[in-house]
Amino acid sequence: MADTSAGQTAQAGGPSKQDLIPDVKHVIAVSSGKGGVGKSTVAANLAVALALSGARVGLMDADIYGPNIPMMMGVPKAPEQQDGKIKPAESHGVKIISMGFFVPEETAVVWRGPMIHTAIQQFFRDVLWGELDYLLLDLPPGTGDAQLTISQLVPLSGAITVTTPQEVALHDVRKGMMMFQKVNVPLLGIIENMSYFVCGHCGERTEIFSTGGGERAAEKLGIPFLGRIPIDPAIRVGGDTGRPIVVANTASPQAAAFREIAAKLAAQFTEKGGGDQPSSPIESMLKKLKRS
Amino acid sequence: MTTTVLEPKDMNWLEKGVLGIDWSDGHKGVYPVRYLRLHCPCAACTDEWTGELRLKADDIPMFVAVNDIEPVGRYALKFTFSDGHDTGLFSYTFLRRYCQCDTCVPVKPQEPKSRRLL
Repeated sequence: MADTSAGQTAQAGGPSKQDLIPDVKHVIAVSSGKGGVGKSTVAANLAVALALSGARVGLMDADIYGPNIPMMMGVPKAPEQQDGKIKPAESHGVKIISMGFFVPEETAVVWRGPMIHTAIQQFFRDVLWGELDYLLLDLPPGTGDAQLTISQLVPLSGAITVTTPQEVALHDVRKGMMMFQKVNVPLLGIIENMSYFVCGHCGERTEIFSTGGGERAAEKLGIPFLGRIPIDPAIRVGGDTGRPIVVANTASPQAAAFREIAAKLAAQFTEKGGGDQPSSPIESMLKKLKRS
Repeated sequence: MTTTVLEPKDMNWLEKGVLGIDWSDGHKGVYPVRYLRLHCPCAACTDEWTGELRLKADDIPMFVAVNDIEPVGRYALKFTFSDGHDTGLFSYTFLRRYCQCDTCVPVKPQEPKSRRLL
């Protein structure tokens, strides 16, 4: 393909971020190069950890084909309509929207790219997010339609990548990170999930998917390494029962790791500008240009 | 892999039909509107695989203006030109590369003409 840049053709015009989500300070994409690395688990736990720290948090399940967030977050009540808009569901102090709320459990979403674009646009435009400090986006794996749509719709504050430590996963991490670089999205860091397993009987530590890969990748890419989450059946139980481990077992090493990562994330924004909305000088530049 | 993010720091009209963009790398970019229109990177105007321009200069009026500019995420601008064309996303990297200032393009090629004025 000609070396110009990502998606040179506009798919659909639309309102700018100011119109879409005017009261959201930071939009953070939680991504992964490949599937099955526990991205939704990380997104759910991070969202709850941020909310527990006192932040106002939203979680958008942008994985339209495989929406898992409603189950993982144990949403007690589906979203409601309010004045022609959607009032997001709420669980563990986090506002939540997902395609999982709108399709029957047994139904597969079989859509082409433009439909995905429309659905995600609606999740921004038609959901009453209200004032939020952080809106976390749980992306589908890879570098597809959802990622491109989101990169074009809103100025992302940054992207986090979740990976497991083995080489094949890290190979895909680099591709995902390159995509975000191409669309000028700051890389906030890498989280290594399923980092190791501690046997519940003998306490032996086993590095099932190798070790240290996430940290090495972060070093190689020159981006922060946010932390490693050990694998534990309790995380899976938390996901299956709708109680993320940061609330289900606050004393666990996993919960501590998520809290630490959430603190590191929040610190990145505090350092950048007191937690204010990411500077969007382009909007004011364009307004000035239109006036002149 | 982390590099300094390229983005506009200021934008203004240098003269009628000439857009100026001050870039984060300190460069002051110059972009005649008709040049932008003639080099639109959308799939209809530029072949996506070869990068070859599909547009014929004759199709673009001599006087073409920008009616609107919208930001696209954090990486591009979307221009609506006075001939109605609005499907091109001009990434910052693309714009920086195609700067037409006297330093970037000391000898200006002759501007392709068109029989259409408006």
